[in-house]
Amino acid sequence: MLNLIRNENMKLYRRPRTWIMFGIVLGLYAFVMLMMHFFTNETMTDNWRDRYEQDRQHLSETLNANGASPGNEQLTQELMKIEYALEHDIPPVHATMWSGVMDSTGFIILVTIMTVVVAGDIVASEFTWGTIKMLLIRPASRAKILLSKYLASFLFALLLLLALLSFSIVLNGILTGFSGFGQPMLTVNDAGDKVEEVSLLGNVLKAYALSTVELIMFVTMSFMISSVFRSSALAIALSIVALLLGYLVTLNLAMYFDWAKYLLFANTDLTQHLEGRPLIEGMTMTFSIAMLAIYFAAFNFFSWLFFTKRDVAS
Amino acid sequence: MNEAETPIVQLRNVSKKIGSKTIISQLSFDVPRGEVFGFLGPNGAGKTTTIRMMVGLMSITEGEIHIEGASVSRDFEKAIEHVGAIVENPEMYKFLTGYQNLMHYARMRNGIAKERIDEVVALVGLSNRIHEKVKTYSLGMRQRLGVAQALLHRPSLLILDEPTNGLDPAGIRELRDYLRKLSREENIAVVVSSHLLSEMELMCDKVAIIQNGKLIDVRAVKGDQLEGSAGIVQLEADPIEQALEIAKAFDDSIDAAIQDGKLRVTLNREDIPKLNAQLVEAGIKVYSIQTTTKSLEDTFLEMTGGDQIA
Ligand SMILES: Nc1ncnc2c1ncn2[C@@H]1O[C@H](COP(=O)(O)OP(=O)(O)O)[C@@H](O)[C@H]1O
Ligand SMILES: [Mg+2]
Repeated sequence: MLNLIRNENMKLYRRPRTWIMFGIVLGLYAFVMLMMHFFTNETMTDNWRDRYEQDRQHLSETLNANGASPGNEQLTQELMKIEYALEHDIPPVHATMWSGVMDSTGFIILVTIMTVVVAGDIVASEFTWGTIKMLLIRPASRAKILLSKYLASFLFALLLLLALLSFSIVLNGILTGFSGFGQPMLTVNDAGDKVEEVSLLGNVLKAYALSTVELIMFVTMSFMISSVFRSSALAIALSIVALLLGYLVTLNLAMYFDWAKYLLFANTDLTQHLEGRPLIEGMTMTFSIAMLAIYFAAFNFFSWLFFTKRDVAS
Repeated sequence: MNEAETPIVQLRNVSKKIGSKTIISQLSFDVPRGEVFGFLGPNGAGKTTTIRMMVGLMSITEGEIHIEGASVSRDFEKAIEHVGAIVENPEMYKFLTGYQNLMHYARMRNGIAKERIDEVVALVGLSNRIHEKVKTYSLGMRQRLGVAQALLHRPSLLILDEPTNGLDPAGIRELRDYLRKLSREENIAVVVSSHLLSEMELMCDKVAIIQNGKLIDVRAVKGDQLEGSAGIVQLEADPIEQALEIAKAFDDSIDAAIQDGKLRVTLNREDIPKLNAQLVEAGIKVYSIQTTTKSLEDTFLEMTGGDQIA
């Protein structure tokens, strides 16, 4: 099995195309970061204390004037964090290098698209090249060969995600002189009476982890279309259209139909449950995870069925 | 029966249906060890389809194929262990070097050492170019690389589908000598397919003839000709009319005529000296005897009684 994955890796990374994908993702990110760095004037790095002093005053006044109103809890927490920050000399996240690192999570969709291309091609290209006839006449079962290709696709995604994360840390570190490199992020505990320090890197990693849900689903979908139809163009085109438009269409459907909650796209964004604003009333984290599991199993089942059972006739 | 005598491949009542179309029907034959076995039939006869079933690329609708005793459909990994093959063209990863391609296939099996790769590369004569990308290879070089990947694991059965495609006569002879050597010296069974009878007669020890997915006959090759098959014999004889009469009397069913001043008869190979003896006995001067192999079409017409050729 390990040898099969090594083979897939060799075929993947010996093609210039793969490195062009790395170049596109990192290049676009660098471009946006540099534009923001050199063309936005609003730098809070130095005067954040003044800003916070003003905010503190403003918040206290509002709270006093409000008396008991529903928005108070959030404002109180905000105030607690500002006071803690001033007391312990912790600048806000957007005044440190971590701001740009956080922005890199917005580029994970590019990683998803690139991995969709890789996964959509990795089975179909063997058919296009005719090499499938060489690949399948060895003592390795078709199921193992398929699995090795699936795993190689995710290894590519992992590598590209790691490259994006480390590149964003290095780039922003250099741009900001590593300001706030080791500093924590502030949150208020569940009881609402104490400010806690949490790791910023941990928070970034959490954002990365959550975005991989979408990545895994769409890559699995592309892989399935590739194995079923043996066409990379179809697999890549369908998956990218689904990725870009699926959520939008589902959003509109959700306004009129309750069954929209069973669609894949209604469930790929798990933050809707963490933030307590589900797309359709009554959807829960458990529901979404169950739906994702069903889609995941179905996609993989069809990949396996068609790849292992169908004749290689061309 | 000891191992050396059991056939390496056994096909038993093998059929293939795609949709409602029967492409192969009830094919049964054995491939013995240490021989070059030909698979002969016109285009569309079902040679490639049969080979695809032998190597597990296509499912077998009915019947069984055993390789070294293991069923291809039920025990694929064990059956394919002994097989090296090229199905149709030797397709390679063009963006990899020849060596990387071989590495790739070597990794898919147990116990193929680096030395073995070098050995096979030398065997097919690619040592000088093996570290170049396959993109830059000629068709001939790709075919050599194809043979190299098929031999990596020292198979006991080598299957080549239309290996002479794109080869010139010298290339065909070279291939023949090479395959014969492999089969004799390493006791490897070689299965080759072709639609050309003349090539099969040059290369093979035994030939299975198929047409429209059905087995028509399995025949041994003796002296570069299918055993029992008639060839066209041209005799330069004097007096020619008398020679024609003797030839007609030789066998009632014989097809004899005078053409371009020569006697032209259709004759089994083993009958040529007999006819010659009769001619000489009758005092006819025989200046030359020339045999031409009949085209596959003629052989088919003969064997199938004039059935339409696919
Ligand atoms: N995938 C397929 N679907 C339908 N018919 C096929 C398919 N593959 C081959 N055939 C038919 O099967 C017959 C045998 O083809 P093939 O095995 O390629 O012949 P050969 O290799 O002897 O030239 C042909 O008539 C061909 O049209
Ligand atoms: Mg063919």
